[in-house]
Amino acid sequence: MKDDYLWDKTGEPDPQIQQLEEILGTLRYQPKQLEIPEDLPLPRRRNYVPWLAIAAGLLLALLAGGIWLSTRSSREIPQRQAEVTPPPVIEEKSPAPVESKAPERRPDSRKEVIAINRHRPRVPTPVLSKHEREEALMAKEQVMLALRLTTEKLSLVHKKTQNTNPANQIKNQHRVG
Amino acid sequence: MKSTFNTSLITLLLIVAPALVAKAQDTRIQMSSLDHLAAKASQTVDVNVDERLMKLAARLFSDKDEDEREVKKLIEGLKGIYVKSFEFETEGQFGAADLEPIRAQLRGAGWTRMVNVVSKKEGNVEVYLQFAGEMINGLAVLHTDDKELTVVNIVGPVNLDKLAELEGQMGIPDLGIESPKPKKKTNEQ
Repeated sequence: MKDDYLWDKTGEPDPQIQQLEEILGTLRYQPKQLEIPEDLPLPRRRNYVPWLAIAAGLLLALLAGGIWLSTRSSREIPQRQAEVTPPPVIEEKSPAPVESKAPERRPDSRKEVIAINRHRPRVPTPVLSKHEREEALMAKEQVMLALRLTTEKLSLVHKKTQNTNPANQIKNQHRVG
Repeated sequence: MKSTFNTSLITLLLIVAPALVAKAQDTRIQMSSLDHLAAKASQTVDVNVDERLMKLAARLFSDKDEDEREVKKLIEGLKGIYVKSFEFETEGQFGAADLEPIRAQLRGAGWTRMVNVVSKKEGNVEVYLQFAGEMINGLAVLHTDDKELTVVNIVGPVNLDKLAELEGQMGIPDLGIESPKPKKKTNEQ
């Protein structure tokens, strides 16, 4: 059967088919190693470490600069004040008895002025408005009145309980003893 | 589904819990039921100092003056002081029914009657305390006489020791709660 050769290469071969086999056989799969050309551009994995290091370095430098500037300014402000404020002004401001008592302490008093000029966090002194002050005064009076009444009543209780206490104590002593 | 339920339950608890705690810790006594007695009374004292007014008043107490400093220490942290006191010219102007709303409040909400003094001459005095753990969180004093009715309510952490320290200061009467000296004590005994 001629047809069998097409299926499993048995039987009589057809010359035309053989010819075709010879022609197409050159294109048959031939196992060989993959050859990658050397000049093929490969996508490289980006390395962010140097950039991160640079960014961190810049950030640190900025922080250090900021800290240095803030400390420098806080140190310089009093010095400027000391230069600007002439000593006579301080003398005028300071009361006479203080000057007469401690003339040697003038540099210290100037230091005090300098210290005041520093940007220290000040606790804001709460100021009551007129209405609030009136309210507060009323409340204070009410609180005092209430405390008087409370202590009066507690005093009464105390007196009464104190009168009964000695007897109770004696009774308790008997009970315990 | 289960996690959504749990989350909603926790949220609900977080919302409700502070309200419940606040309710539980509320030691203020409503005294408005006594207001009608003011018409019959010859003298009325009505003190209503809430937390805001208490803070305002505290600012007026001087730290330099020892007496004022003591009062300031005492009232710091208090959430309110409420007093209603009526003095009548004749007897029988108020009865047990008038006091019932006050007593009803003092029967519940964690109040404990610490002292009950019954005196024919000076009337009855009841002292109630409300505790939050070991701390006193509220004080109530109820004084009834033939011609007098007084209800005092202090809301907040009351320091009875400091209250005792105030005796004899700034017009506050001497309580006489100073611990007696050992010699005196032996003499008395």
